[in-house]
Amino acid sequence: MMMNRAADTIAATDAKPVLSVRNLSKAFAGKTVVDDVSFDIHPGEVIGLVGENGAGKSTTKNMLCGLLQPSNGEILVEGEVVPHIDGPAHGISAVHQELSLFGSLTVAENMCISDLPGKPARVDWREADRIAREQLEFLGIEIDTQATIESLGSGRQQVVEIAKALLHADRVLILDEPTTSLTAVEREKLFAIIDTLKARGVAIIFISHFMEEIYRVCDKFIVLRDGKQVGGGYLSDVPQRQLEEMMVGRTIEDSKIDLHPPGEVEALRVQGLSAIDFDGIDFTVHKGEILGISGLMGAGRTEIAEAIFGLRAATGDVFVKGEKVSPITVKAMKARGVCYVPEDRRTNGLFLNRPVRENLSAAAILNFVTRSLRGIGFRGEKARASDVVRERDISVPSIENHVSDLSGGNQQKVLLGRWLSMAPEILIFDEPTKGVDIGAKFDIHATIAELARAGRAVVIVSSDLPELLHTTHRLLVMRKGHIVGEFQREAYDSVKIISLAASAGNGSNGNA
Amino acid sequence: MKSTLASLKTYPAIPIIAALAVAFSLFSPYFMTSGNIEAMLGANAVVLIAAIGMTFVFLIGGIDLSISTVISVSAVVAGIVMAQTNSVPLGLVTAVAVGMVFGAVNGILIGYFKLTPFITTMATQLIARGIAFVLSQGIAVKGTPFWVLDFGFMSWMGIPAVTMVGLVLVLVSVFALGKTTWGRQVMLVGSNPNSARYAGINVSFIEFSVYLVAGVLAGVAGFISIANLGNAIPGVGDTLLLIIIGAVVLGGTAMTGGEGSIERTVLGVMLLAILTNGLNLVGIPFYDQLIIQGILIFFGTWLAMKFSGQRAV
Repeated sequence: MMMNRAADTIAATDAKPVLSVRNLSKAFAGKTVVDDVSFDIHPGEVIGLVGENGAGKSTTKNMLCGLLQPSNGEILVEGEVVPHIDGPAHGISAVHQELSLFGSLTVAENMCISDLPGKPARVDWREADRIAREQLEFLGIEIDTQATIESLGSGRQQVVEIAKALLHADRVLILDEPTTSLTAVEREKLFAIIDTLKARGVAIIFISHFMEEIYRVCDKFIVLRDGKQVGGGYLSDVPQRQLEEMMVGRTIEDSKIDLHPPGEVEALRVQGLSAIDFDGIDFTVHKGEILGISGLMGAGRTEIAEAIFGLRAATGDVFVKGEKVSPITVKAMKARGVCYVPEDRRTNGLFLNRPVRENLSAAAILNFVTRSLRGIGFRGEKARASDVVRERDISVPSIENHVSDLSGGNQQKVLLGRWLSMAPEILIFDEPTKGVDIGAKFDIHATIAELARAGRAVVIVSSDLPELLHTTHRLLVMRKGHIVGEFQREAYDSVKIISLAASAGNGSNGNA
Repeated sequence: MKSTLASLKTYPAIPIIAALAVAFSLFSPYFMTSGNIEAMLGANAVVLIAAIGMTFVFLIGGIDLSISTVISVSAVVAGIVMAQTNSVPLGLVTAVAVGMVFGAVNGILIGYFKLTPFITTMATQLIARGIAFVLSQGIAVKGTPFWVLDFGFMSWMGIPAVTMVGLVLVLVSVFALGKTTWGRQVMLVGSNPNSARYAGINVSFIEFSVYLVAGVLAGVAGFISIANLGNAIPGVGDTLLLIIIGAVVLGGTAMTGGEGSIERTVLGVMLLAILTNGLNLVGIPFYDQLIIQGILIFFGTWLAMKFSGQRAV
């Protein structure tokens, strides 16, 4: 324990830590998602937990608030080893990204809902109101306890959630991306409340993407990357750029693969595409080119991809091979050789209780069968489906197995196989390797590179920046519905890209 | 052994049917006679035809509560037309057309306006029932052409003609579901409508067409009810709704969509037919039968879930 690596990096202060973790790990079905995380947090301290999407922040949070049981490691509360975190008993509470409030109930009812005063059949609502009022006063917040939650803005809802969390457990507070739905003013108010809590001796674990917020709020930090703790210490010792480098990890040199130079012929052009979630989007992709679109969650990337494919209403023009598509529908796009592989394969991609065969042929049945009558017969489907399974290297006992029997990586390959069977010329991938294992990820990247080499135009939307740096010729950076930067492969600079995508300071003013 | 298990998984109704058939033939010497079987088949033709439509609706994850009263209104309108014109073909066309109109209304509201199937078809159920009673003034429509009455009594090799109609529709439906792009798209939309939309399937059209088909089949069932009963009765289909749904569910078609088949529904209809017939022969009163039917639906659903191992929710 004395020799612990993380304990060295985060120097202990004199006071006893309220919460310590040692070598915390979590594996799901043999796959390690959090590996060897260790830190101490003292009363009145704020620790920033930073990392990219999928770095293991949420899993770590869930272990710290008792929702998940760690596979390995120790948790100490006030220096005592505990087998399992029990939020109320240990004084640890969490405010999750998704709020847990009931919109039609009042502030007081929401705050006391888990422990209502009075008898079950005769709740003492007056007492509940008093408890809520006292708690809000204690935190120095002015909110009407009789207002319904839905009548409050998202900033105030967030504050009620925090006040509720602290009602039963007020030693350690975990805040998961608390500012994503807040305006700049609401954010400042939240930070003021965090300062108050700090002064009252509450230890806070603050999870965020936004570097400015981390520096504004936190004393110390822990960086997670691919589930591992790759750094930690006092923020005052580390400049922002260095922190971002720790987050992104790999330097660009060792992650690049050889890409074939892109062609000159225009394949897809988007002009002035606008909708609620994005505005004035212009870009062009050429044959043989792989274009990446990066940005944080909620930047509007998926929405743009869906609008181009005709799944979402938008104004503006889309040109395929120089020809304007109007109206923009899925059917029109498919007819022009455009395909879209969606982000959430279980919700929007697969037919889980149908066989692999039907999942493969769902988008282009005519490429699977030989028919003499229109719309009738499936002769040849099995053979073609088996071919695709072989080509895409999908491991499945039989093409008649339900697609739900397959692993994430193989499911993704099924989805890929479905769209490649259409012989598409323009491919739009949304998070093509989300939730797949390393081997499948490598296969999918190789497939994408191969498609470009064969002259197809590819657009990749991804939150995984190393993936984009690795696989694309050119990169667009989005923030809050706008394209805010463009990089050529030679000039890729992950730190610049990240700060462009995440700098909340500029973005919150809604610059055009 | 493995193939037995596999077929139980696909057809969970088979063991129950076998058990009931054995039990009833032990209790009643009449159960296994050709006369009884013929009567049983004839009496369930209407339910069979309507249940095919309900199966399509279940396969896309919907429900059609109007099927029962659309049977009634189709019968009434066709009965009135036949009484006036004495034309049987015109009567059949009318029954189909009335069913089609109701199916189209359901289909447009659910497929294109995205109303919930439960509420939409509950409303059309009321409307159809109302029309049936208004047009018939609440009494059986008299003046059915003799040919229709004769058709109701016709049978071939112990199989009534009305059942033959049902079986032909079963074959057509099995083909449509298993061998056409439309049938495949029905299964995919039922399995996951989002994925279907992302794959470029016209989900609204598939939903519309399924409710249309259910309406048409209800119309045919209405016409068959005239042949069975001799007259168009304004409330003929009204009590059949739960039997139709029960048959589809007991056959092993999931209400959640994307899993099931017409063949399963045929077995489900057989199961309920045997149960009702057998209990009548044994002398169990009607209301006691309802209790047994209810318990059987629990059991059948549980069995289907156990064998398929997928719908455990």
